[in-house]
Amino acid sequence: MKNDYLLEAQDVHKSYRMGQTRVRVLRGLNLKLAGGEFAAIVGASGSGKSTLLHILGALDRPDKGRVCFKGSDLSRQSGRRLNRFRNRTVGFVFQFYHLLDELNVLENVLLPKMAGKSLAGWLVCRRTAKNRASELLEQFGLSERVRHKPYQLSGGERQRVAIARALMNEPEILLADEPTGNLDSETGNGILKVLERLNGTGQTIVMVTHDDRIAARAKRIIRLADGVIRQDK
Amino acid sequence: MYKFTLAFRYLIRRRISYFAIAAVALCVFVVFVVITVLTGLSRDFKQKVHSSVGDCVVYTKSLVGFGYYDEFLDILRKEPYVEAATPVVNSYGLVSVNETGGLDVYGQSVREIAGVEPVSLSKVMGFGKWIEYHKNDVADVFRPAYDVNLPGCVPGINIIFEKDIQGNYNTTGRPVKAAFEISCVPLTAKGALARVGTGELNSKTFYYSDHFEAGYSLDRRLIFLPIDDVQLLCGMATGHKRITHIHIKFKNGVTLNKGTQKVKNLWDGFVASKAGAPYENLLGQVQVQSWKDFSKVIVALVETQQTMMIVCFSLIGMITVFIVLVVFYMIVSHKSKDIGILKSVGASGFSILSVFLNFAFLIGLAGSAIGVLVGWRFLVHINKIEDWMFEKFQFQLWDRQISSIGDIPNTVDLKVLAIIILCAIGACLLGALLPSWRAGRIKCVDTLQVAQL
Repeated sequence: MKNDYLLEAQDVHKSYRMGQTRVRVLRGLNLKLAGGEFAAIVGASGSGKSTLLHILGALDRPDKGRVCFKGSDLSRQSGRRLNRFRNRTVGFVFQFYHLLDELNVLENVLLPKMAGKSLAGWLVCRRTAKNRASELLEQFGLSERVRHKPYQLSGGERQRVAIARALMNEPEILLADEPTGNLDSETGNGILKVLERLNGTGQTIVMVTHDDRIAARAKRIIRLADGVIRQDK
Repeated sequence: MYKFTLAFRYLIRRRISYFAIAAVALCVFVVFVVITVLTGLSRDFKQKVHSSVGDCVVYTKSLVGFGYYDEFLDILRKEPYVEAATPVVNSYGLVSVNETGGLDVYGQSVREIAGVEPVSLSKVMGFGKWIEYHKNDVADVFRPAYDVNLPGCVPGINIIFEKDIQGNYNTTGRPVKAAFEISCVPLTAKGALARVGTGELNSKTFYYSDHFEAGYSLDRRLIFLPIDDVQLLCGMATGHKRITHIHIKFKNGVTLNKGTQKVKNLWDGFVASKAGAPYENLLGQVQVQSWKDFSKVIVALVETQQTMMIVCFSLIGMITVFIVLVVFYMIVSHKSKDIGILKSVGASGFSILSVFLNFAFLIGLAGSAIGVLVGWRFLVHINKIEDWMFEKFQFQLWDRQISSIGDIPNTVDLKVLAIIILCAIGACLLGALLPSWRAGRIKCVDTLQVAQL
């Protein structure tokens, strides 16, 4: 059966235990994303935005319902295939950058490529990978920072490194969780421009934010409340 | 690739890993030094015993001895696997010092005596190297330099000289005229007293012609004498001459067990050929043993001590495992964010486990390298260090006046060293296994959520 959607969430439920109580975060959520979209998921704190993003990126599994990538049900995939999915198909950008302090900028960007290869495989492709990483860093204005450690960079630079890392394996979907949440407005604006530019080249982007002004930069806004989509425009 | 890179970076960037390395290094150092010294002591002792026994012994525990030994020696010496063989009479004698010659030896005592043929004895044992003044003319070892016509004797060095506090003997530098009257109880071939009612002892005075230093307790209990004299003193020269031991050295390349078995077979055949001969019953009491079996009572003591000590010190390895476990538990807790990041880019739980096990391997390797280097250096200078401690604090590992062991053994056995390093790395991997496994099972969403940071 032909499926036109890149990513599809069907009747997704997710709850967490918090002390003695169980909090139902997602309550039968349905969502369809087509290739090349730039969607912003907005909602109040605790509305389940990040949880949805994690489930869409196979970082977490729904309690009920399913998430399909190009029609293929992710919940039926083995752990190994999900690792491969996270490595090759999606790229994550987090609010707090989440760079590895022990690695320099270039090594952080190379991380997804290294994680997806065996030692022998890495030795074969390392030159190509380094070229790709250098191109990305140049594209994001970080060519002078290649050997720097994350703590030597500004917040905006760190986030650009994180985006470069997310794009290293040329993923079909970029999932960004509050990518400007830890940045001042000017730097945040720079990051949004980067995302817009990427979307302009056909990159599918799903961005989570609690800020309507930032969400307005996306082409589609999905508003979450009470664990379901209340508005999709 | 990142598994090795990250493991290496964790090693050099995390201060806590230095504590783990230090703990491993300390354990490796202690175990390396203790095992090297203990193994050295045991090896030296066994070498000394081996050197005083030869490869194989044909012997009887009876003081009566056994006869026909010349015939058996002739047979033995023709065997292609036998390098040399020598007859020995072992017995006990009452030793009275009649003339001290200035030596620090007085009174009467019971000593072990060994009647030997010095030339053939030197071919089987280390006798030729143990003696002081006749190294180049062993045949004349029983001829005192001051009067070659007097019957000579070669007492253990500790019978006639005292050790100073640093373990050196106060030797005179030349043989002096000291006389030892040695009295034995002669026995007939049937085991009865040979001189009932006529004064039961045979006595003869021997003069100090040389001394020997075998390097263990033989030095304070044994006196070597000419074999003919001991046979006379012990009543073994009458009728069929008797001895108590034949010591044998095998040719190079002959294994101990095979050589001993061949001698056993040869002896059994010899005994069978003597059926019905006079005093053939004495041959039935004779045993054939390798030097290891012959000396196992004294060697086993040393080996037991060595094993006990090694087991005790190897328990230190348990401490290494525990320290590494604690360190890794802390590291995994601190690095949960990294684990989440790695999983978000597609790393598997097994890959995460590998990162931390590689890290543990590097800690083990670095700790072992440091422990071995420091230990090696310490062992090279261990005797100088002990000398310095003795000079400054009068401290010695053992009393050199009592013990026959001189220097602290410090020869490194590379096989033992390799085992220690492998065990240290293994202990690190074992200690890191549980925390690493836990790291591999961490869910990345639990570590990457804002609330967790």
